[in-house]
Amino acid sequence: MTQPITLTLDINGRTRTVALEPRVTLLDALRDHLALNGTKKGCDQGQCGACTVHVDGARVLACLTLAAQVEGRQITTIEGLAGADGGVHPVQTAFLERDAFQCGYCTPGQIMSAVACIREGHAGSDAEIREYMSGNLCRCGAYPHIVAAVRDVAGAAS
Amino acid sequence: MRGFSYLRPGSPDEAREAARDPSAAFLAGGTTLLDLAKCGVAEPERVVDITHLSGLATITVGDDRITLGALATMSRVADEADIRTHCPAVAEALSQAASAQIRNMATIGGNLMQRTRCAYFRDPATFPACNKRAPGSGCAAIGGAVRNHAVLGVSESCIATYPGDLATALVAFDAVVHVGERRIAADDFFLLPGATPDREHPLEPGEMITAIAIPASPAARRSTYLKIRDRQSYEFAAASAAVGLELAADGRTIRDLRVALGGVATKPWRARGVEDALRGKIFEPETVKRASLAAMEGAVDHGANRFKIDLAPRVVARAILTLGGLA
Amino acid sequence: MTGTDTKTKHGDASDGSSNSLGARLSRFDGPDKIRGAARYALENHPANLAHAVIVQSTIAAGTVRAIDVAAAQVAPGVLLVLTPDNALHLDSASNWLGAPPPDAPYLPLARTVTFNGQHVAAVVAETLEQAIEAASLIRITYDATDAIPDFDDPRAGEGQPMDPMKIDWGDAETAFAAAPVRIEETYRTPREYNVPLEPHGLVAQWDGDALTIWEPSQWIDGMARTYAEWFAIPFDKVRIVSPYVGGGFGSKALACAHGAIAIMAAKMVGRPVKLAVTRPQSFTAFGGRPATRQTIALGATREGKLLSIVHRGDNETSVDGFAVEPLGAVTALMYATANLSSRQNIVPVNTVLPGPLRAPGENPSAFGIESAIDELAYAVGADPLAIRLLNYAEEDPHARKPWSTRQLREAFAVGAERFGWSRRTPAPRSMREGNQLIGWGVAAGTYPVRRTAGEALVRILADGTVEVASSSIDMGTGTYTILAQTAADALGVAPDRVRVKLGDSSLPRAPVAGGSQLANLMTGAVHKAALAARDELIGLAINHPSSPFRDVQANTLVIADGRIAAPRGNGPAVPIAELMRKIGREQIEVLRDTLPEASRSDEDRYKNFTTVATMRSPTDGDYSLHSWCAHFVEVRVDADFGTVRVSRVVSGIDSGRVYNPKLAESQWQGGIIMGIGQALLEEGIVDRRHARVVNNNLADYLIATNADIPDIEVISVGIPDPHASALGGKAVGELGIVGVAPAIANAVYHATGRRIRELPITLDKLM
Repeated sequence: MTQPITLTLDINGRTRTVALEPRVTLLDALRDHLALNGTKKGCDQGQCGACTVHVDGARVLACLTLAAQVEGRQITTIEGLAGADGGVHPVQTAFLERDAFQCGYCTPGQIMSAVACIREGHAGSDAEIREYMSGNLCRCGAYPHIVAAVRDVAGAAS
Repeated sequence: MRGFSYLRPGSPDEAREAARDPSAAFLAGGTTLLDLAKCGVAEPERVVDITHLSGLATITVGDDRITLGALATMSRVADEADIRTHCPAVAEALSQAASAQIRNMATIGGNLMQRTRCAYFRDPATFPACNKRAPGSGCAAIGGAVRNHAVLGVSESCIATYPGDLATALVAFDAVVHVGERRIAADDFFLLPGATPDREHPLEPGEMITAIAIPASPAARRSTYLKIRDRQSYEFAAASAAVGLELAADGRTIRDLRVALGGVATKPWRARGVEDALRGKIFEPETVKRASLAAMEGAVDHGANRFKIDLAPRVVARAILTLGGLA
Repeated sequence: MTGTDTKTKHGDASDGSSNSLGARLSRFDGPDKIRGAARYALENHPANLAHAVIVQSTIAAGTVRAIDVAAAQVAPGVLLVLTPDNALHLDSASNWLGAPPPDAPYLPLARTVTFNGQHVAAVVAETLEQAIEAASLIRITYDATDAIPDFDDPRAGEGQPMDPMKIDWGDAETAFAAAPVRIEETYRTPREYNVPLEPHGLVAQWDGDALTIWEPSQWIDGMARTYAEWFAIPFDKVRIVSPYVGGGFGSKALACAHGAIAIMAAKMVGRPVKLAVTRPQSFTAFGGRPATRQTIALGATREGKLLSIVHRGDNETSVDGFAVEPLGAVTALMYATANLSSRQNIVPVNTVLPGPLRAPGENPSAFGIESAIDELAYAVGADPLAIRLLNYAEEDPHARKPWSTRQLREAFAVGAERFGWSRRTPAPRSMREGNQLIGWGVAAGTYPVRRTAGEALVRILADGTVEVASSSIDMGTGTYTILAQTAADALGVAPDRVRVKLGDSSLPRAPVAGGSQLANLMTGAVHKAALAARDELIGLAINHPSSPFRDVQANTLVIADGRIAAPRGNGPAVPIAELMRKIGREQIEVLRDTLPEASRSDEDRYKNFTTVATMRSPTDGDYSLHSWCAHFVEVRVDADFGTVRVSRVVSGIDSGRVYNPKLAESQWQGGIIMGIGQALLEEGIVDRRHARVVNNNLADYLIATNADIPDIEVISVGIPDPHASALGGKAVGELGIVGVAPAIANAVYHATGRRIRELPITLDKLM
């Protein structure tokens, strides 16, 4: 009953077919089976946000999502955030310019979360950014710079 | 995590049928089920994915009630402008729960099925004794590290805190849980542990929450949710209060008051003692503070959680006073 | 106001105007990190990779009676169940001082259990999911004995005195007894954990007797030495690859038991093995900061001038190991006093061996002395800032040596000015806003300058670009960036023409990235190698028959903007690439180290890079070398709930010369933020019946979230310190956290009138 099942996943605009046991999470599918290592595993129990990806445009935790569950949904990871021209997303640029990371391990999750935070309209003030970015832990302590990066992009968009 | 088979039923009836076996589990947002499966607490043999079912995520705001489809996500409900108007406590409870990512995943129905964060419950490999997991095995928490454990509704079998925010608001405003045709008052949907802490809800295998209805009331319209915790965000409540207030035409007599507590009890805890003490009284700070102490009637601490007995009434009082503009 | 950058001033040490060292360049490893293209250790998947999962003990003391592996062995995909019964023999390894190991095997899987959460067994399977499931099927039975859960247990006793930590001058006890003003209090910090966001783990692959390890490491050469000794293979047969490290904070410097298990498993199954320590397991796979308690007695004049300090400290250690958290580190350094006595004991309990966590010693030490001096300020009615200046140490009171540089007075001054300290009303509970009690607190911090010799390779390539190579690492500390800036400066090229390779033991060696020493020692080594490469290039340009400078008749040449030219501008300005082509060179390669001339044998070099035995103390030499900081903090405490939120931080910081202010500010801020978490949130909660830390995850071991952190202003007041390092820098990484917790505790006292002497300052302590 735990036999692998064949899943067809839409990841970063590409169709990927992969045979996985049903219990495999989206996070492990990305990292161990699809060579998409940009999405990070920090706790594997929904407590740190390092594995944040977008499913149908909404930010979710890949560690608490079954790969099987997101068949038919559009999945975007950090690798798919850049435009088709290969450039980087404005949030990525802002993170670099603001030095909004140090070790870089939480960074893809922070960036995916920040892109969604702005799109949701939850970047209206520093206080709102702080609250809506609190699902992404950063042990290096880049928080003020993360807020600045989100503010830069949200401000430019509004 | 144990292996399981995965099913994606095409209709609610198919889903119920597939989950009728006790070894099956519904999968909605997955934030509880997969978390507990990883801990070794949940060991479903069959996972029935209901996230693809249509028609169960509708949000309706009518004159007499708000109806939330069970598969509506927490974030959608939290951000719904009508809900912020008709029952702000619900929106505030939701938007202070977990994180933005988890709120995008977790559904309203699934949220009601959230289980305790008791560290002993969540670590079966280390602590075999847990009456909630294994009836009759004992309680590893009692006598242990209990700072986050409950002071209300506890029994000799279990002192695990109910951790949720939303349900606290639902209980305050007499919400009704729809399980197909069945209707269960939110307060009755959560069972006290007593001698059977393993039984948390009056649901039978295969029964599926389909919607939650919140009756409209003046108290719901003038409501708030106050959550106090050590960390500013992304943490469960040390103590929280969902409160609704209706003042009489004189603007100072309390006509209706709703109070429910979170983070301090084994279930979302309706504090009727506070409501009764204040209904018909003049709204003024000292009266409110004194009456709020009634929230802790019957409270029992186990040492490190004693602070909750002091904290919770202050949370209640502040929430009530805030609603009345006197905080 | 558009952000933190615009609010940050720079001291003399960082002009920010040049294009290289001192410039505010974005980090060079940033583009890969923001695109998710930086490959961390566990993302290396050699062909035929198998997955290992560890099983830990659920008792704290006793012996393993039996391990039932039957169900696990036959579970799908299982390749190996590893227990003490079938584990390979390993030799013990020398410790980080290089002390010879005991003549006993090393046992990464325990038969004798000394702490709850100790590794006992492991499973290797085809997939991660299969390994996890099979691990859950292993049944271990124990013969448990009584455990000592913490150092408050009476059975723990007083512990073992650490004589080398003994500090005495004057007659402290007598002076204290005679002092007109006396305070004596005990300060405590709980177990704290490093919790880097990247979990520990490794991928191990054998190829004959050659071993390749992909593992996040703060000290590649030190870990390689340990692995070589455990597995009895030559040091040069171990290759460790660690180009990115997802945070360490002290926890990734030394090889751990899980490393031995993975390498052993790879050998036994004949396949590469990946082992990722789970987040809960990480709380006992290596130790964090031990719990500490210290009693401080201050004797002073009625004006608050210190007469005596009597200090007694204890920290927990494991029952079979040795961990010292030097609690007198700041006590004996910060203030001038004629009399001081400090003692320290370590108290064995059933815990994993504690390890280093950001500013080990200085951090809890500062919590003690910087709280105590604040208490003294209130006792004598002095301003907390004024009492610190009153007792300012003009020289190192312990070593009796001049400071190399000590810009602490400047840090206090600029911090106070930017914070608005003069507007503070002295009485506790005097700055209320509605339900919020506002408090302002100050505390100082310090961290020593440690020095070890380094080594670097610099290569000028035919295309005029430059390569720098070292087995040192960058865990977010900015090594990639500042080494490029250093080489660029020395060679006269733009920083973006420099490519830095790090994190591979096949590259020139490096000592530990710990003790905040790496930036200084590596910039020194790169500077030296780059200057030598430059000299060689100039020599060729002057002397080579095909050089365009052959006829310029210059004694020397200059290189700027990637062009080589005569100093007075007479003659051509030739791009380096063109010169290389003309003289027919593919590359100019220079390897340099900064070892003393007398200590350059192979044995010396091995010792320098694989142990900490050659690390020089901050007072070795004519001066006492330290970084300094002053933190000003505003807290808001809810009058009813006791919740504390930090609403403002201003810190004046003296780290000497700053090589890249943008990155240094990030590290200082990061330290301050970790300090906020330490002050208010972080605590390993021990179930004393089981001697087990029960909040072993990131939902229950609370670290600060974004919402917990206010604007933080860091202001560099450092000046280049030529005694501290080749290029004038002092310690950066560990400095920022030191003094934050006492500054917050002091602010909480000012807000509430309640003195909290036990971290963290949680709401229940203030209600």
